[in-house]
Amino acid sequence: MQRDKFFREIENVQHPNEKLIKTHCSYCGMQCGMNLRVNTATNKIIGVEPRYDWPVTVGKMCPKGVTAYQQTNHKDRILKPLIRDDASLKGTKEGFREASWEEAYDLIVKKFTELQKNYGKDSLSVFSGVSMTNEKCYLTGKFARVGLGTRYIDYNGRFCMSSAAGGFLRSFGVDRGSTLPWTDVHETDCLFIAGSNTAECHPTSMFRVWAVQERGGYLIVADPRETPVARRADVHLDLRPGTDLALANGILHLLIENGYADKEFVNKHTNGFEETKELVKDFTPEHTSFLTGVAEEKIIKAAEIYGKAPNAIVMFARGIEQQHKGVDNVSAYTNMALVTGKIGRPKAGVATFTGQGNGQGGREHGQKSDLLPGYRKITNPEHVKAVSKVWGINPEEMPQPGVSAYEMFELMEEKTIRGLYLLCSNPAVSAPNLNFVRNAMKNLDFMVCADFYLSESAEFADVILPSVTWSEDEGTVTNLEGRIIKINKAQEPIGESKPDWLMQVELAERLGRGKYFSHLKTAKDVAEEFRLATKGGNADYYGATWDKIDKQDGVFWPCKDEEDKGTPHMFLDKKFYHPDGKAKICALPYRPPAEEPCEEYPLRLTTGRVVYHYLSGNQTRRIQFLKDMCPDPYVEVHPVTAEKYNIKHEEVVRLFTRRGKSDYKVKITEAIREDTVFVPYHFGHEQSINLLTIAALDPMSRMPEFKACAAQIEKLEAGKVH
Amino acid sequence: MEKRRLYIELENCIGCRSCLAACTQCGGHEERNRNYVYDVNPLVNRQTMPLMCLHCVNPACARSCPAQAIQIHETGAVLSALVEKCIGCQNCTIACPYGIPKFDEEENLMYKCDLCIDRTKDGIPPMCASVCPSNTLQWLTEEEIDQKQKQFDLGNDKWVTSMPYLEGETNVKVNLPGILQGTTKLF
Repeated sequence: MQRDKFFREIENVQHPNEKLIKTHCSYCGMQCGMNLRVNTATNKIIGVEPRYDWPVTVGKMCPKGVTAYQQTNHKDRILKPLIRDDASLKGTKEGFREASWEEAYDLIVKKFTELQKNYGKDSLSVFSGVSMTNEKCYLTGKFARVGLGTRYIDYNGRFCMSSAAGGFLRSFGVDRGSTLPWTDVHETDCLFIAGSNTAECHPTSMFRVWAVQERGGYLIVADPRETPVARRADVHLDLRPGTDLALANGILHLLIENGYADKEFVNKHTNGFEETKELVKDFTPEHTSFLTGVAEEKIIKAAEIYGKAPNAIVMFARGIEQQHKGVDNVSAYTNMALVTGKIGRPKAGVATFTGQGNGQGGREHGQKSDLLPGYRKITNPEHVKAVSKVWGINPEEMPQPGVSAYEMFELMEEKTIRGLYLLCSNPAVSAPNLNFVRNAMKNLDFMVCADFYLSESAEFADVILPSVTWSEDEGTVTNLEGRIIKINKAQEPIGESKPDWLMQVELAERLGRGKYFSHLKTAKDVAEEFRLATKGGNADYYGATWDKIDKQDGVFWPCKDEEDKGTPHMFLDKKFYHPDGKAKICALPYRPPAEEPCEEYPLRLTTGRVVYHYLSGNQTRRIQFLKDMCPDPYVEVHPVTAEKYNIKHEEVVRLFTRRGKSDYKVKITEAIREDTVFVPYHFGHEQSINLLTIAALDPMSRMPEFKACAAQIEKLEAGKVH
Repeated sequence: MEKRRLYIELENCIGCRSCLAACTQCGGHEERNRNYVYDVNPLVNRQTMPLMCLHCVNPACARSCPAQAIQIHETGAVLSALVEKCIGCQNCTIACPYGIPKFDEEENLMYKCDLCIDRTKDGIPPMCASVCPSNTLQWLTEEEIDQKQKQFDLGNDKWVTSMPYLEGETNVKVNLPGILQGTTKLF
């Protein structure tokens, strides 16, 4: 299915004494298809071979994908459980000793039981992530609520996808990251990409992006930097960080004013048009230009192109979402598609570039503080009843909603939360305002970290449990299209490492909760229970069996039963998921970033990724090729700004905000606004830019404003480093 | 088996260097990459370009080799120096107009792109073109390359693939920056 003009039948190279295991990459939401090369004598992964027959990426991989296999048998793998007896060494790599699984489990059970006895069930917390399978994400939610009985569970999607989720739920009543399959992208006539450094963060989308232009279509990019995708844009809207809402309102105003609204679509299928039309009237090109710093003619041209395009796709990513108005930004850009009716048909729609591998599936099935499997709400008694039945618990036993990821650290600081079970995440690098977050972790009474490398966050743990990489287990992941795909196991876990689901089952048994977990003996067992738990929810995976996924090259949710082939295109019947079947056009007043530049902090600091690293860098900083390409962070500065500060290319300067400071090498480039500086966030310890970022949270998604805060540069004495 | 060639559209390059990472993955490359990606004007913008062996029809590297260590495969691929013949004189690294051959100081041997000959001899694309996320590197039939040539040669002297801008005829075809110059906008 969905074989397009890029698809070609190509035989794979099969080296002697090797077998190929088809699977997908461990990293971003593209989930590029790949074959892992396994030596049949040693049964170890030794390399990668393109997967030409995967319809989304046809063999293509970025440098992270090409080298992903090197994680599995890496020398830094943790092979046995580690215990640290001396708590004064927390926050360092020192003091860990190897232990047996029994000793590690016993200690965890003893400490967790003590804490809950003394301070109540909710003194424990689970902080999770979504770079793992749906089955693991699902079980982690159940482990927190049924195994530990705590309300406090949340995950790193709060730093990634929660604003997109919030925006889509408000606009459409459902949160599927893309309304269409990626095989539509190159066939549209206009791509409007806001706040996505696509070429570096989702590189294997690029052959489709360029193909739009090659066909004579248009590319519009909104970004404070001239990123590699913005470089070739027909219009580059070079806005100030944190002003997207004004830009989206300004473009919507022009679309309406210039007659591009689809009145029939708006009347039949949406609510909220009139009040939105009134609100955006103020966003004239002049006023929008004043707020965003983008030239008026560029705003006018972009609106004209998007309005005229027979088909267009609005796409966005963390640039617009990691703001304290991220949800509003998402709904505001989505307004463009709803007002012009460019949605609910092939080649037209809205999509977010999912950051983490399972950023889509992982947010749907109960790792979020207020959600249960199938995108059910923990505050809805019917939903609680449905899930309780699958779990075999009494609905009254279901814990209350907890708090968001960053707020959990606030509760740790004030000692409401005293114990932490951390998995699949590295908040000591990826959370904002790190001085605060690291201190909160350091002061915990007891912390467990499950990881396959000793991450910066693991340095705060009392017990480290060795988990497996993606290639040593199997299960499903939902990619950025909303397509459920299958990750296959290529080798046995190395050392004594175990998959997260198995650790949780074994811990639950030792906590006296075995009757809810002991039947889960394989990843497939978890998958079967997981499908059942989603049945009837908005994100219904019931019909997405592993067989069907294999036969169909993935299954798009919703997929309700065995006959259902899934839903590649959303809203083809123009039915949205709000009770009246209509989408919501949202009237959204503009508000500036939480922290605006001032005399003391005159620069705008924004953060992001580079192509060579993934998230906190815990994985990619250990891969030699990627490390060679980008060993250290840097600060990008426009030459005009550099001259003002009398700083030179490659000179080390101090960058600081109200929250923290760090020293970086200067990278001079004209491809950034003069009022803005940029630092990539993949680095640990004193190199983390998140020491400087602000924890201003979106009121709906609780997403921190990573993308905009006020900063200052200090020139250091000659030669002085740190 | 239909003859295919490596075809390069420089303007598509996003600088991800996936081609270099993938080069190490071809079974015959001792996990060392054999080509280059350059930042064209790093203080100004983010334009990058790959510099790949162009597999010249009459290759200067092979001509300059006093030991006949550099063989030309029947497909036209200019192979890496034969280990048993290479004397480590580095003539080839000087002779190549594009600076392609690399030199292993420890082994005293040259090594270069062999167009993943174990793959391309069977019509399977080389690793670099297989993975290239931006379609800068493509593996095309003669017919597809003819089409590209027609599409981009506008007779306006701003042209495009390979000749006459390169030193001599090459098996790899290059589209110099400007691939969008002939595009008619849809609306």
